[in-house]
Amino acid sequence: MTSLRLGILFSTSGDYGVLGRDCRDGAMIAIEELRGACSVSIEPVFRDPAGSSERYIQLARQILQEDGCRHVIGAVTSQARKDVIPVVEKHDALLWYVCPYEGFEANPNVIYTGACPNQHLLPLFEHMLPVYGRRVYLAGANYIWGWEMNRLAREIVTEAGGEIVGERCLPIGDTDVERIVSEVAARRPDFILSNMLGPSNHTFLRAMRDLGRRDPAFHPERCPVVSCDLTECELPEIGFDVADGQLAAASYFDSLDSAANRALKAQVAARFGSERRASSYFATSYATVRLCVEAVTRCGTDDPIKVRSALAGLETPGPLGPLRIDPATNHADLPFLLGRISGPDFVILQSRPAAVADPYLIRRRSVAQPHSAQPQLRVVS
Amino acid sequence: MKETLSFLGQRALILHRAGETTNRLVRQCVLLGLRAEARWRPLRAVEDVDIVLVDADEGWDGLLPWTPAEKPAPLVALLASEAPGRIAWALDQGADALIAKPVSASAVYPALVMATRRHAEARQLNERIARLEERVRLRPLVHAAVRTLMAANGCDENEAYGRLRREAMQTRLTLEQAAVSMLASPRRQAG
Repeated sequence: MTSLRLGILFSTSGDYGVLGRDCRDGAMIAIEELRGACSVSIEPVFRDPAGSSERYIQLARQILQEDGCRHVIGAVTSQARKDVIPVVEKHDALLWYVCPYEGFEANPNVIYTGACPNQHLLPLFEHMLPVYGRRVYLAGANYIWGWEMNRLAREIVTEAGGEIVGERCLPIGDTDVERIVSEVAARRPDFILSNMLGPSNHTFLRAMRDLGRRDPAFHPERCPVVSCDLTECELPEIGFDVADGQLAAASYFDSLDSAANRALKAQVAARFGSERRASSYFATSYATVRLCVEAVTRCGTDDPIKVRSALAGLETPGPLGPLRIDPATNHADLPFLLGRISGPDFVILQSRPAAVADPYLIRRRSVAQPHSAQPQLRVVS
Repeated sequence: MKETLSFLGQRALILHRAGETTNRLVRQCVLLGLRAEARWRPLRAVEDVDIVLVDADEGWDGLLPWTPAEKPAPLVALLASEAPGRIAWALDQGADALIAKPVSASAVYPALVMATRRHAEARQLNERIARLEERVRLRPLVHAAVRTLMAANGCDENEAYGRLRREAMQTRLTLEQAAVSMLASPRRQAG
C-alpha cells in the first residue's frame, strides 16, 4: 500500500484563524472519508503557524525535513504562501494552495486550487458595473491581497470609463473604519469593493449596516459591499443579519444544489453539527485533498514530480464540480458564483461554468460595457 | 498609475545553453503569453525580437549585435557568478534587469517588467538628450537672431526676444528653428 504523509499547514489561530480552521476541517473531512476507502494510507501532520511568517517557514521545514512529508496543503494568505514556497522549492515538494488569491504567480512547485482574478474579480465586475454603476469605492487590507485587488479593480473600472471615488487600506486587524465609512457617506459610490479581512471587515460591515439605516441610499440593494473572500465561515462572527444583502464572489457556496455537495453537507452536519456551513475554503481544501490522494493513487508513489504529471488529464468530481488542473499553469479550472448574504447562507444569484485560470491575465479583455449582452451568464435564482 | 504590462504575442529570445535554466525560462515566458525561443548562437541584427535574455556567465562580445546605446530591445542578464568581470559584461551589454541563477519562477515576470520599463525610459531619455543637444548647438543662432531683430526694429533685447518667441509659437517651431528661419529670410526681421 502506498503511504502518503500529508502536511496540513493552516493558521487556525490568530487574526484570520477562522479561515484556517475551515481549510483544516475540509482537509480533515476528506482524510477521514478516504481512510480505508482507497489504496493509499494517509497520515496527516497538522501544524498551526498562528499567522506568523516565521512559524510558517519553521513548520514547513519541519513538515518536509522531519515529518517526512512531500506534500503540503496549506497557507491562507499570500504572505504565507510566499514564505512557504522557497522551503517547498528547496525540498522539491508540492504546495497545494486552496485559497483565492490575487494572481500573478505560477510556480512549478505549487498547485493552485483557489481562484485567481479572472475567476473572481473580473466576472464580479462584469456583473457589478452594468447593474450598479461605475463609481466605485475600494477598501482593502494593507498587504498584497488588498493592494493588488484594488489595483486591478482600478484598471477595470478606469477601462470601463468609470471612476474610483476613493480608496483606503487598513492594517490587518485594525478596526478603525470610521474614515472609510465617512468617505463612503460623502462620496456616495455605486458600490464598494472590500478586500479587508477578518475584524476590519466585520466592523466595516456593521458600520455599513448602521449607515444604511440612517440613509437608505446605502442599503445593500442600492450600494452593496462586494468581496472575493467573504464566506459562510465569517458570518457567525459578523453576526447573522448584519451583512444581509451584501454580495460575494466564490467558486463554491454551501447552498449549492448538487449531489456532490449534498453528500459533503451530510458529512459536515454529522461531524460538526447542523449549524455548521461549509465555505469555499472548506470545500476547496476538501476537494484538493481528494485530488492529491487520487493523483498519488494513480502514480503509486507520492513523488511530487510524478504526482504533478499525473494531474494532467485527471478530473475528480466533488462539491466544486469536476476539479481539473491546467498543466500549463498548475491552476484549477473554477466556476464563478455570485452570492447574496442571507442569514448564515449565501443565496446564489448567478453562476458561470468552470473557467481556465489566467494567472497573469494575458487574455484579459475590457469588461463589458453597461447593458451589453452577457450570454455566458446563467441566472439560477 | 502604470498599467499592468502585457507581453501577449511578443517574442522572447533566450541566449543560453539548453537545460534546466532554459526550461524554466521558457515555461514562465509562455505563461506570460510570449513566444519564447532558447538557443546558444549569436543574435543577428536583422532578427525581430521584443525582449532578450542573455547568459552573462558565459556570454561573449559579439553575442549581441549592438552597443548599449543602440540596443533595440529590453535586455535581461542571467547570472549565477558574482565575478566583477561578468557583472561588468552584463552592464556593458546594456542589461536592464537581472535574473539570478538558478532561476526561480517568481523572478521572471518582475525582471521582464523592469527591463521593459527601464529600456523604454532609457530610450525616452536618449531622445530627450538628443533634442536638448540640438538646441544647445543652435543657441548661438538665437543670439544672432535677437541682435538682428534689435538692429532692424531699434528695440531692446527683451522685446526682440519676445518677437522671436511669438514668431516661434505662431509657426509652431522651436526657438532655435525660428531663429534659423528668421536669419535666412531678412524680410521677416522687421515688423
